[in-house]
Amino acid sequence: MLLENATNWICLALRAAAVVVFSQVATTANAATTEIQTSPAADVALITAENAIAPLSSSISAGLVISLSDGWKTYWRSPGEVGFPPELDLSGSENVAEVEMLWPAPHRFTAFGIENFGYDGEVVLPIRIRLERPGEPVALRATASLLVCSDICVPLDMEFALDLPAGSDTEALQIDRASADRIAEFAAQVPSEIASEEFAEISAFMDAEARTLTIEARGTHVYSTPDVFPEMGEYTAFGVPDIRLGESGTVLWAQLPILALDEEAADPFITLTDGDQAVTLAATPLDRAPEPPFAVDRMRTEVTTLLWIALLAFGGGMILNVMPCVLPVLSIKLASVISGGGKARSETRSGFLASALGVMAFMWALAAITFGLQQIGVTVGWGLQFQNPMFLALMIVILAVFAANMIGLFEISLPSRWQTRLAASGSRGGFAGDFATGAFAAVLATPCSAPFLGTAIAFALTGGAMDIASVFTALGLGLSTPYFAIAIYPRMAQAMPKPGRWMIVLKVLLGLLLLLTAAWLVWVLSGVAGKTAVIATTTLTALLIGVIAMKRLPEVPRWAGMAILAVAAVVSASQLADQSAGSRSTTTTEWAVFDRAAIAQHVSRGEVVFVDVTADWCLTCQANKVLVLDRDPVADALTAESVIAMRADWTRPDEGISRYLASFDRYGIPFNAVYGPGAPDGIVLSELLSTQAVMEALSQASAREVAGEN
Amino acid sequence: MTSRRAILSLLAGAAVVYGGVKLAPLAFEADLEFTDLNDPEGFRSFGGGDYSSGSFAPFIGLSTDAEAEPAQLVTEQDVRADICGSLYGQLGPPDNRIRIAAFSDYYCPFCRVQTRNLAAMAEQYSDRMAVAWHELPLLGDASEAAARAALAARRQGRYVEFQEQLIRTPFAANDAYIETLSANIGVDHAMLVQDMASDALTREMQTSKMLYRIFRFVGTPAMVIGRTAAMGQISDRQILAIVSSEEGDLSDGAC
Repeated sequence: MLLENATNWICLALRAAAVVVFSQVATTANAATTEIQTSPAADVALITAENAIAPLSSSISAGLVISLSDGWKTYWRSPGEVGFPPELDLSGSENVAEVEMLWPAPHRFTAFGIENFGYDGEVVLPIRIRLERPGEPVALRATASLLVCSDICVPLDMEFALDLPAGSDTEALQIDRASADRIAEFAAQVPSEIASEEFAEISAFMDAEARTLTIEARGTHVYSTPDVFPEMGEYTAFGVPDIRLGESGTVLWAQLPILALDEEAADPFITLTDGDQAVTLAATPLDRAPEPPFAVDRMRTEVTTLLWIALLAFGGGMILNVMPCVLPVLSIKLASVISGGGKARSETRSGFLASALGVMAFMWALAAITFGLQQIGVTVGWGLQFQNPMFLALMIVILAVFAANMIGLFEISLPSRWQTRLAASGSRGGFAGDFATGAFAAVLATPCSAPFLGTAIAFALTGGAMDIASVFTALGLGLSTPYFAIAIYPRMAQAMPKPGRWMIVLKVLLGLLLLLTAAWLVWVLSGVAGKTAVIATTTLTALLIGVIAMKRLPEVPRWAGMAILAVAAVVSASQLADQSAGSRSTTTTEWAVFDRAAIAQHVSRGEVVFVDVTADWCLTCQANKVLVLDRDPVADALTAESVIAMRADWTRPDEGISRYLASFDRYGIPFNAVYGPGAPDGIVLSELLSTQAVMEALSQASAREVAGEN
Repeated sequence: MTSRRAILSLLAGAAVVYGGVKLAPLAFEADLEFTDLNDPEGFRSFGGGDYSSGSFAPFIGLSTDAEAEPAQLVTEQDVRADICGSLYGQLGPPDNRIRIAAFSDYYCPFCRVQTRNLAAMAEQYSDRMAVAWHELPLLGDASEAAARAALAARRQGRYVEFQEQLIRTPFAANDAYIETLSANIGVDHAMLVQDMASDALTREMQTSKMLYRIFRFVGTPAMVIGRTAAMGQISDRQILAIVSSEEGDLSDGAC
């Protein structure tokens, strides 16, 4: 009904304008405009399209013109969390039967974490006035109350008087072109209230706990800069919408946290805006939340993006070389050059080239597997193999044996066996050994999801075959850069110090580093498979090392024992895995389970929310936990009453968490963010946390610092 | 020779520009601009900007239900006779701390921010400042109800808790909400309702409104820090600077 009025009214206004243009009748300026009430914040006036009431005319079009000064805003009919919409009281008027104010589509303002909807610059609120006695003079006596805010909120109360006499039937005499134009311009911005082909249907779902409202809009309209303004009774307030587009931009999906719910809330009315188009429709209730549209925009990759990501992957790969789980391998490789100091240059060269190829081979194998899995619809996460107890146990066995060798418990002298070949590749020549060293380095690199590495990987996983291939190649090239470098300039390796006593010290040190990596893997294993599996694996590994070290045993039983123990250590981990061993709670901070919708609710109550997205297999996450999150003052700050610590466990793939990360353009973890009244959109912390950064973000989010920056 | 001189002067020029850019904000920061007020005497105003008093038409709140409007219990003369008591009386006898009278409305977006910041500052610098809260419900009935509820809660010693809840809520303060809030905070609701309608409370609110008029404030938030009146949302840093300036103020001041 409102729309019908609005359309009539636009027609009327436009017709009026046209008539004036063609007839060229000079009308008295401002005849249909009240005196402008001025204030430093806004100039306000009441205007009408008519200069006089035409015979039999039963309605007039008026408008409340609000010209806001720079930086000032006023509010929509639903002002948001707080605020106050303009009100117009025409009760003191004569010959007025009914007044209807229309609301042009609002804009969203976010300041200090408060969502407000309204207008800035100039706005005309169109008013349709139905007359009591058609054709007779009208005396408008209006009181306008409006709230205008900049960094101060000023309520304005203004009075207007406008008299319209009864006029002749010459239309031109009765229309004020300027006023009619202004009213028409803003009447055109009032959202349409009937469904069209463009905006065919809006449906909505509110979950049982009234935490979120999920909206889906369908039609032929292709959205570019959409916004969503639901209305559900006077007291219902919503947080910032998470808006997604699908099906080439014709489907809009949005989810909004409900900050407060009106007890008597009926089905919502949804106002959708996109550029200068807007629609307000009653939402069709749904039985369950509509699925968010698939992120189609990730499928088409631009060349520049691909190059950039490849560069990131390359950098990430290079950095992986100095990660604790890879550095020993590289060092061992270098140590082989040191020990074989007199080796021919060509031999060194080809050796390192083989290692580099080993790295590349592993990466390409990984790329192939990723592609294959992606083809059959499996989600793959980097380091996901670290959820597999068998894999973990295998790594533990290899690393422990390797470490024992380095520390000097025994010398590996039989490169014919596969695992010893891996381990011995450092001290032995042979392309196969060199190749294995490279591959081994790449395998070990997987848990070290260094900053930006995650981005590259996740990008590859969401992309096509080309993306996967280029990302993994770049990653491999980065990781094998040192090998390539030495292959090209063997001098680099020969420039290493001469062998000596220090080498033994270095070897032991490297061995300890490996042992540390193994210990960490044990810790991860305990998270994935539970205590029993850990005890079995470590005991069997210790026995294995013991057997290897006992050279006096006869050959056959010794080899048989070694094989049995190695297999047993690996198999026991998966056989004895405790399925219930999921995420561990080793911390004192009470971590709430991640709930994206609850973030806005907490923030609206003035609380600070700390989000930690983590997984057992994420090395950097574990480091963050141990070094920052579980230590005072951060641990202490996180237990404060006004701070909600939320942990999202990504150990197993989770669509919701992935979507949350994607909203920050992040595809890997660790991810930490702090929300609060001072940072309603969240402060994203860097992957490697520092106590100072966390504390600063916490205080900034608590809003204390925000005002200080003004 | 000339080229060396040119280079030197260029470098010197660059240094001056660099230094200027680096130091300008400091100078700006250090120079708080105050204007002495003729009325009320002994006070001064900070900043002012676009919304300096006088340019806005005098205004005392959006229209509320006229029938519910209580009778005027406080006159302008009463308040003028004891401006300091009206501003800071609720804090008790003065001590060496700077007293701040803060005026706000629960439904003005920036007041929420200002109130939260000011409350936190008052806690952090409790040895330097004390805040007297004035309710200035300018935005209709819900504002009025929230303000009365908060002041009634103060009579039960729970003002701060009530205030905290009110500035956090996106709800319009209706009777049901205030009842829920009372239960949550542990305030006697019956007594709260009785106090909300009491003359003493009306007098308190009218005093705040009168102060607002006397200082020619045009909107919320607004505050009086010692003898300095400031309007609009101002930063923690500015508040601290004004407090420091008040601490170093050797004039007798107004209060």
